[in-house]
Parts: sequence; structure tokens; C-alpha cells
Amino acid sequence: MMRLLNMCVIAALVAAAAYVYKVKFESTRQAERLANIRTEIRREHDLIAALRAEWSRLDSPARIQDLAKRHLALKPIEPRQFDRFDTLPERPPDLVPPDAYDPIGILIDKPEIAEVPPATVPARKGTTASVPKRTTPSVPKGTTANASVPKGTTASVPQPNSSSMSKR
Amino acid sequence: MRTLLYGRNVDRAAKARARLGLAVLVFAVGYSVIAGRLVLFAAVPDSHLVRRSSAADAVATARPDILDRNGEILATDVRAPSLFGEPHRIIDVDEAVELLTAVMPDLDVAELRERLSSRRRFVWLKREITPQQRAAIHRLGLPGIGFMSENKRVYPNGVGAAHVIGHVNIDNQGIAGIEKWLDRSGLADLHLAGLATDRLQKPVELSVDLRVQHAMRDELVKARDKFKAKAAAGLVIDPRSGEVISMVSVPDYDANNPREALDPTRINRLTTGVFEMGSTFKALTLGMALDSGKISLRDSFDARSALQYGKHTIHDFHPQNRVLTVPEIFTYSSNIGTARMALKLGVEHHKAFLRKMGQLDRLRTELPESAEPLVPRRWGELNTVTIAFGHGLSVAPLQAMMGLGALMNGGYLIPPTFRKRTEQEAMALATRVVKPETSEKMRYLMRLNVEKGTASKAEVPGYYVGGKTGTAEKVVAGRYSKTKVLTSFTAVLPADQPRYIVLIILDEPQPTPETHGYATSGWNAVPVGGAVIARIAPLLGLQPRFELPASDKLILASVKESR
Repeated sequence: MMRLLNMCVIAALVAAAAYVYKVKFESTRQAERLANIRTEIRREHDLIAALRAEWSRLDSPARIQDLAKRHLALKPIEPRQFDRFDTLPERPPDLVPPDAYDPIGILIDKPEIAEVPPATVPARKGTTASVPKRTTPSVPKGTTANASVPKGTTASVPQPNSSSMSKR
Repeated sequence: MRTLLYGRNVDRAAKARARLGLAVLVFAVGYSVIAGRLVLFAAVPDSHLVRRSSAADAVATARPDILDRNGEILATDVRAPSLFGEPHRIIDVDEAVELLTAVMPDLDVAELRERLSSRRRFVWLKREITPQQRAAIHRLGLPGIGFMSENKRVYPNGVGAAHVIGHVNIDNQGIAGIEKWLDRSGLADLHLAGLATDRLQKPVELSVDLRVQHAMRDELVKARDKFKAKAAAGLVIDPRSGEVISMVSVPDYDANNPREALDPTRINRLTTGVFEMGSTFKALTLGMALDSGKISLRDSFDARSALQYGKHTIHDFHPQNRVLTVPEIFTYSSNIGTARMALKLGVEHHKAFLRKMGQLDRLRTELPESAEPLVPRRWGELNTVTIAFGHGLSVAPLQAMMGLGALMNGGYLIPPTFRKRTEQEAMALATRVVKPETSEKMRYLMRLNVEKGTASKAEVPGYYVGGKTGTAEKVVAGRYSKTKVLTSFTAVLPADQPRYIVLIILDEPQPTPETHGYATSGWNAVPVGGAVIARIAPLLGLQPRFELPASDKLILASVKESR
């Protein structure tokens, strides 16, 4: 009887020891994982701080003003350009029917068609102005996408191109 | 034998029990200590694991971010590795020096060798190296050479607000501006205690608006070039809360390169310098006169001839040679008229008023740099005469604007601040110095001066600007110079409900062909002020209003009703 009891107690002891060992091992593992995650969080924090610093350097008004002067034809706002809400005219009746073909909307939906090389532009330039809004969708896709590209480029970077050309 | 050892009549059974008891006690204590330690180990998490990760940034010098009023970053911390050596662990100094200089050619060989062969246990070799250099040195595998990641302070908008933010030294301790203020208000103690490791410290929000700051600086740099001035400075404050929205003083410096700040020409002229403000100060004299109740807007003063005082003669710059009413004295900026006004009220009244307006004591803000006003030691009638039109008393421009703010905002003197503050918080600090009616009359005068006075070039349609010009002759070798002047322009916008006060100062502007040979404020500081206002008013969200009635109708109407 006594012997059986002893055996039971020893078995329970071994089981308890094994369980404690397992818990201990697991806790060490978790603690290590925690430490790793902490390091990772710290590294991420540092990276975020570096990126935020970089972003605000790129976003600094002095730099933006420089870029805007070089590439855009924008001018400072005049006080007369502001208006109040109560002088806003009534919304006019829709000039464009709601289901009309929308060239800019298509550019947003499918940005890849904007990257069509603008080789065919000069030939079509005259026609793009008079392209009606509603035609078969395949033709105006190309023309409208191209029309928007050269307009921007000719307005913003004519000087460097023409000067370098004339030097040669 | 036994009796020899234990004595004669000993109860050995009792003795054995006592020994047994002692043994039980000793073991019980021993086991309970072990059990206690076990409980401790279980309860407290493994501390060595946590410590291991933070050992890399043993130098605890994190600083809170500094943001502008819209949350744009003005100063932030970035981690940068620093290279250190432990000379006692280095095996071959020559090899280490050779390899390190191969990676970083800018290291001084002699100094490096000297440091590595010293007997110290720790030497810095180079602070703030790049990640590429770090990787290269790591690959060398030199014993006794290690890295520690340190916080490096960066200012993404380097020159934008350097005079406000200040800068830090190589150990990330603030040595100027708001950075120094941060240290003084507790951060330095945190650093000493080694607790400032966490980069999650609460960011400090300033009252400065980065966009306005940039616009102001841009215009001032242009103006300084155009008029070949020695220096230019600009200030925008909110008179209702005392917040400084923008403070620029060019030439300034790049906060990322603090060495530039040592150049004395780059000081911040708005807080660190004191100047005789010239006619801008007349606003304070007029405010005093109108507030005393003894002088009203309908009174007039004799300005037919120059004012003789002892051996001194006071002239007007725009002499009218007739009797001038109080508004005319302001718009023609008559020295004689203002001097007579101050004399009528007396020296003591004048002195007491200026003290009440905070013009005679040092103004303290968050910025550690401040200057004491230069007050005449003996203040006689002659001093009152000259101080009435802004000569003979030198104050910091920020201080003068605090006084002007009180005349504009309805009569409350509010100490200026560089931290974000609401109007309620400001009102808790404010003291009433002049009557609300005086403030309205002053705003009327300011507006009138733009409508038909010396400041007409500052009119920006839509913003109802009011302003006062000032041209102060500078003292050169003990005499007032005719050619070296300090011109200033103070504007309030909109004049009927003041939201912002703008100050422009040009130090020694030169006449240009466009100014017809004049170097007075109306030809340089005023147009610059107009350009600044046109640029910053939309940024500050002011709604332009047109077809507003003239100043006597819009501002003075309520005063008349109350009379």
C-alpha cells in the first residue's frame, strides 16, 4: 500500500517537474520573442522617424517654392480670387449627361493608357480639340490620353529643350 | 570523560531536543529564502533579456520632437551609429588605425592612434557615421571597436525657424532657443538620470507657423538684397493670444550647422537686440494720450514751428507748419505734436505708462536669449520729449509689439509666447492696461494712416490693413546719423477686428532709384510689409472683405455710440 502510494507520488513529481520545465522553457521562448519584437519595434520607430524627417525635408516650403518656380506657371493668390459661399451662383443644369464619356475618369481607372508614346500627337493635335465627347470608346482613348500629355510638357519644359537644341 | 566534556548533571535528552530544534530552524530559514527567491524569479520577468536590447543605446539623449502649430516637424531625432573603441581590448593598434582610415579617410591618423593607445577604457572615435561606414567597419572584424547608436538631432527645415528653435550640441543638449528651454524645463534632469531613452516623449508644439515663417523669410531676403540692408527682421504675433506666429531675422543660420550661429551678425534682432524704434513708438504715446482722458481725437497741437527744448530743436520729417489735430499728428508722424502731447501729460505719467506697458523691464519668453531695454538713468523732460517719438529708449522689438498688441486687442497686455496657447489661457495671464475705447481709437488711427498717411503703400485690398511707419536714425559715434537709419513698419490686420500684428524692420536700408533717393520707412519697410501681408493673409485663413466703409465709419462708430 505504502509502496503504491510512493510510486504514485514519484510519478506525480516527475510529471510536475516535466510540466514546470515545459512552462519554463516556453516562458523563455516567449521572453526572447518579446525582446525580439521590442527590438523590431524600436527599429521601426527609428525608421519611421528617419522617414518623417526625410518627408518634412522634402516637404519644406523653401524646396516646394523652388520646384514650383522651376516647373509650374503658378502665381501667388490675389485677394480678389477668393469669394464667399453666399455669392456662389446656383449650380447650372448638367451640361454633360451623366452617362457621357469621361476622358479623365478613364485615365484614373486605367492609368496604363496614359503611357502610350506621344508619337502620333502632332498629326492629331488639330483634331483633338474638335473631338466630340461621345464617339466610339477605342479611338478617343488614345487621342485624349495623348492630348493631355503634350499640353503639359510643352507648357512646362520648353526652355531647356529649345536652348539645348539651339546650342547644337 | 563525559563529565569532563559536558559537566556533571546535564539532561542530555533536553539538549538533543534543543539541537534538533535549532537544526529545524536553520533549514526552515534556508528553504524559505530559496522559496522566496523562486517566487521572485517567477514574479519578476527576465530582466536581462530586456536589458540586452537597450544596451545598444546606452546614451540616453532622446529629445521630444518640435512641431509647428500645424503639426509640421521642425526638429526630430534620427538614430545614427557612433564609433567607439576600448583601447585595452585592441590587439594591434597599427592595424586598427590602418584599416579604419581605409574605410573613413577623413579620420585624423595621429589623433586616432593617440586615442587608441591611451590607457582609458572607452574612447569615442567618430560620432554619427553613416550606415554604409558602419557596415564596412563591422566587416573589418576588429576587436575592441564597437558601435553605439545615438540620437542625432535634425532640423528638416534648417534655416526656416533657426532663431526660434535654436540648436543642440553633439551630445544632444540644447544650447539655444526652444531647445535650451526644453532642457531647462526638466529634460536635462531626465538625461542625467538616463531615463530619456524613449522616443515616445510628448512632442512640443510651438505657436510658429512654418508656412508663414517661410513666406516671411523669403520676402525679407528679397527686401534685404533689394535695399542692400545690413539686416532685416519680421515678426507676426496674434494679439489675442500673444502667440508668435512667425519670427525671422536675416541673416540667420542653418540649425543643422550651429557653427554659423557664432557669427555676431546673425543674432536674432527681435529678442536679442534692442533698438530705438522711432515713430513706431508714437503709437504708444498716442495710446497714452487718448487713454488719459485729457486728450481726445478732436484736440489739436501746435506744430507751426520746430520745438525748442534747451539747446535741442525737434523738427518734423514731413513739416506741415500748422496746427495739427491728433489724427493728423499720427498720419503725418509729427515729432513736435507727439512731444507736446507727452509734455502735457508730464514725465511721471509717461514713465508710469511705459512701465505698465512692459517697455522698461526685460521681457522674458521661452527663448533664453533676451535683452534688457536701455532706459535713461535720469529721466527728465527732454527724455520724455524724445521717447515720445521713439528716440532715447531702446527696447527689443518683440517687447514693443507686446505693447502695441495691448493697444490693438482691446487693452490687454499679454506676454508673448512661442508655445501654442488658447485665448482663454492668454486671458488668464493678461492685465488690462488701457480702456477698450482707447484701443478702438488707436485702431482707427492705424487704419487712417494706411488710408491717407505715411503707410499708404501697405494697403492690401481686402484685408483692411492698419499700420504705422517708423524711421529711426541710428547712433553712430555718439551722434544721430542722417544716412544710417533703422526703418520699421507695424501693421495690424484687419484693423476693425485685429487678428494679427506684423512688424517689419530693415537695418540700414539704402536708397534705390525706385525710392527716389529716400531711405525712409514708407519707401522700403512699408512695401515689404504689404508684400508680406498679401502673402501670409491667405495662409493664415483670413477672409478678404471688400467694399468696407472708411475707418471713421467702421471702427469709430461703436465708440461714438458708447459716448
